[in-house]
Amino acid sequence: MITVLNIIITGLIMGGIYALISMGLSLQYGVAKILNVSHGEFIMIAAMLTWVFVGLGIHPLLALVLCCPFTFCVGFLLHITIFRWLNINSGTAAAYESNAMLLCFGLYFIFSNIAMQIWGSNPVGFQFMEKSVNLGGAIIAVNKIIVLIIALAVSILFYLFLSHSRLGKSIRAASQDPVAAGMLGMNIKKIMAICFGIGAVLAGIAGTLISMYSQVNTGMGMGYTMIALIVVVLGGMGSIPGSMIGGMILGFVGSIFGYIEPSLSMVAYYLIILVLLLVKPKGLMGR
Amino acid sequence: MSKKSFLSLFLVFALILSLGAVSTVSVQAAESESGYTIDPDKTEILVGAVRSQTGVFAMFDQTAFGPCYRMWVDKVNADGGIYVEEYGKKLPIKLIVYDDTSDMNQMTQLYQKLILEDHVDFLLPPVSTAFLSAAVPIASQYGYLMIGAEGGSDTLKESLAKYPGFFSVLNYSETQIPAIVDLLLEQGMESAYIIYIQDTHGIEYSTAAEPAFKEAGIEIKAMTSVPADIADMTPIVTDAMNSGADVLIMFAYPQINYPAISIAKTLGYNPKMIIMGPGGSFESAKAALGGDAGVEGIIFEGAWNTKSSPEAAQFAKDLAEFNKDDPNFGMDWWGHIVYYASLEVLQQAIEGAGTLDNSVLAEYIKNNHFNVSMGEIWFENQEIAHECFLGDLGQWQNGYPEVVDADEDRTADPIVPKPEWAAE
Amino acid sequence: MNRSNGGGSRIGQYIIPIIIIAVLFGLSFLTRTGTSMRPSYIVVLFVSILNYIVLAVSWNIFSGPSGYIALSTAAFFGLGIYVSALFGESLPLPVLMILAGAISFVIAAIIGVITLRLRGVYFTIFTFGLVLLLQYLILWYEVKFNNLRGRTVASVPYNTVFLSLLVLVGIVLLAAYFVRKSRFGMALSGIGECEDAAAHVGVNTTMVKVIAFAATSFAIGAAGAAKATTMIYIDPPIAFNVMMSFMPVLMVIFGGAGTFLGPIIGAIAFTILQEQLTTKWPKWYMIIFGTVMIISIVFLPKGLVGTIGEMKSMQKKIALLGITAGFMLIGFGFTQILEAAGVSIGGLVFPLLFGIAGFVIFANVFKRHKGKEAA
Repeated sequence: MITVLNIIITGLIMGGIYALISMGLSLQYGVAKILNVSHGEFIMIAAMLTWVFVGLGIHPLLALVLCCPFTFCVGFLLHITIFRWLNINSGTAAAYESNAMLLCFGLYFIFSNIAMQIWGSNPVGFQFMEKSVNLGGAIIAVNKIIVLIIALAVSILFYLFLSHSRLGKSIRAASQDPVAAGMLGMNIKKIMAICFGIGAVLAGIAGTLISMYSQVNTGMGMGYTMIALIVVVLGGMGSIPGSMIGGMILGFVGSIFGYIEPSLSMVAYYLIILVLLLVKPKGLMGR
Repeated sequence: MSKKSFLSLFLVFALILSLGAVSTVSVQAAESESGYTIDPDKTEILVGAVRSQTGVFAMFDQTAFGPCYRMWVDKVNADGGIYVEEYGKKLPIKLIVYDDTSDMNQMTQLYQKLILEDHVDFLLPPVSTAFLSAAVPIASQYGYLMIGAEGGSDTLKESLAKYPGFFSVLNYSETQIPAIVDLLLEQGMESAYIIYIQDTHGIEYSTAAEPAFKEAGIEIKAMTSVPADIADMTPIVTDAMNSGADVLIMFAYPQINYPAISIAKTLGYNPKMIIMGPGGSFESAKAALGGDAGVEGIIFEGAWNTKSSPEAAQFAKDLAEFNKDDPNFGMDWWGHIVYYASLEVLQQAIEGAGTLDNSVLAEYIKNNHFNVSMGEIWFENQEIAHECFLGDLGQWQNGYPEVVDADEDRTADPIVPKPEWAAE
Repeated sequence: MNRSNGGGSRIGQYIIPIIIIAVLFGLSFLTRTGTSMRPSYIVVLFVSILNYIVLAVSWNIFSGPSGYIALSTAAFFGLGIYVSALFGESLPLPVLMILAGAISFVIAAIIGVITLRLRGVYFTIFTFGLVLLLQYLILWYEVKFNNLRGRTVASVPYNTVFLSLLVLVGIVLLAAYFVRKSRFGMALSGIGECEDAAAHVGVNTTMVKVIAFAATSFAIGAAGAAKATTMIYIDPPIAFNVMMSFMPVLMVIFGGAGTFLGPIIGAIAFTILQEQLTTKWPKWYMIIFGTVMIISIVFLPKGLVGTIGEMKSMQKKIALLGITAGFMLIGFGFTQILEAAGVSIGGLVFPLLFGIAGFVIFANVFKRHKGKEAA
């Protein structure tokens, strides 16, 4: 019984982080049409920055806030420069999509290696709330509970932002029908750049949260990119609720396999996708 | 359509046949293996290495063997070089380092380049046991010495006889498992929980531990294998906690060890003893785990320290001094002195045998004793003899890496049971 | 874009294949520069180049015209590597290559039947996941049941590997050439332009896709088996290295997707650039490589060959090639000057980087120029 409780709570925590990571990627693909395989590098950069900030005596929660404008600017600037040039130079939408993915692969090379030149590749970490509480027999780390709360809060806030705010509505309109949205007077280019920036922010928040409960290093990015890709395919490209559900599913699967056979969790993720895509070729919530 | 495909098929066959003919012709004997020659115009000793400067293994070149060979080359050249008798003068070292980007394809290709194009005199080993396993056959195919650094394993040991130019230096499961058993028995530990990484290191250590523990009467509560990129160690650490084992042993790398320690701390799980694999001996472990207090009482595979001998103390001082500007550098209280010894052995062999001929040097290394930073060492079956090592297990005590083997290498008594985790 | 009308006369059709065979035949004499015990380094380097040519050209046969971006190259390459690791002791290299190819073919056909109904990015990620699935599954199996992680591969002399790959390259290039001209190739590019329309006209799209996917995987598996013998020691992460999925794609994009020469030029240029950077500028390889990649994707979306092909006038084509050669010469001179000044970053780093820079700049200048003319 305690094991079941443990599995559920661990699953929730992993799921929360996975959902956060994947929402960013899903937004970037859904609106800006960029399959960002350098997504994990934004996670890594924010995590390393948090570690640097904490070393300077800044509280991790404050670092979380400090990292947001930074990651947003990096994402936004990348989009209004190289991605826009790419868009102009690529003839068709399909060509842009595949070129953008490869371009992100180049960004992955550059980001991960610049980070490695700066910070080396040793794992680093700081101590944040290394205590635990007893929840009905399951012993849970306080820092992870805080991380889960923040992750869920950010996810819900983000969802509310998309569904209720003016900008959020424009973003949804742009993702559903960019041409029509453009005709209605929306600045599609700006919206796309903002979306790419927001995606980077969500990755950055995830990175800071990860650094709160685990050691981080400059090579951590790719692993999270793969998780995010799996979740996004599972949930349906461009669907934010899909990413949340997909993230939770993956979190629970990961948690269950953590107790049964940890080495098979990647295999399990993949088999889930395999079965799901056979039934629904566009993911759970795909259109 | 059928005519066309017939024609293209014909072309393909023509190609295969012609190339086949060429290949049979080109296997003509003319295999004149270029033996060792003395080049009177030689002004320097070329030493080549393929090291992972980027990618997942870059950490090792930054912190493990990297600082050692860089200091060695610097020291030798500051001294004017290595005296080689057959040249009658000191020859400085020219070091060529290529980056394999942590990729096996690149690694093997670039060693071929060092040998076939750069005609280096000596090779330094690549990063990691897996890469070493591939580099050793290449080196020995061309008659080169390969004195290993990072990496040592039973699998490599089996191949020692096949590769006469290969010498393994680092101590591994063969000597460390008995050391662990001795320590556990001495301290009256009765049960252990073993976590091991799905890597040569983890597999060999756990395979060696199973019968050794059984024979010593130490109960193994569980042996859990984990993938290198496991997402969350919590379930496994919780399982270890619930098992009630006296000792938690982790035959794993930092990406597993460090999170596991953090989680154990968070959960308030404090077994009587924690033994940690690679990474535990790194000074940089403190940065990841919360300073001196964060690693207090943790036992690690290693080990040596500045109390082991005056030479070791001097070496530690020199190495720290040489690398003081490198932010990634941190002492490794397991490998550094052994890696450096491998370079000192090479240097002393060249001076002693008076030649750069790799095959002569291999014989020389097999048959002689060397005086290096870790004391007098010699090789038995192409491995450093066990009694030469300064220790097999260390323990962090007040931020100092004490050697705690249950034999004469010990520099301080182990603190058992491990003290409570320091409060934040 | 599809120059299917270029093949004019019946004899003209066979000029390029004959050139290919002649060049490869000429290359085979490279083995004479060394012995089988001590090959020359040029042969070692060519093994890498030929290997990447097989991967890039194979990828381009299927993904170039069809628009399905497959990232499964590393999966079939890894399967080939494992075939060599398991049977290398007992079987000669050509048999190993055929066996590896056959296994890859069968698995690719099965995967293809299941997954090719997925479109766009779903297909891409699914094929990428295949690499990871095989990697983790084999690792788990090896650790659990064989209590080992890595395996030793029986080594084969470089000259033999070189010749075997040369034959494979020949087959792949001829296949690439003839597929482009054939109805099969037309069907593939029809799928790329509009799959529904192609299906409507009566093309059995699934059949075409599965055959193309499986056939190209055959070549990739065979290349893996050949390359494995030079790797000597492998384990699942080494064999199923995700970079092997991305590198061929980058080479093709750099050279020009959908063109015949593009993948070959991309493979040669990238392999040499990689070799030069890792040996001359070890720490900066990834950063420079990434930058070159980004610049070429952003400013040459059609790739080297595609960009030249787009230019209407012959003068411009020649001028662009001439300027590139000029830049390479300047780069060479720059290296010499540096060398004289005591900085030895020799080799081909600067010529290659300068050449790429010159090509990118002037290709875009010419394009602007044309735009003005039109206006």
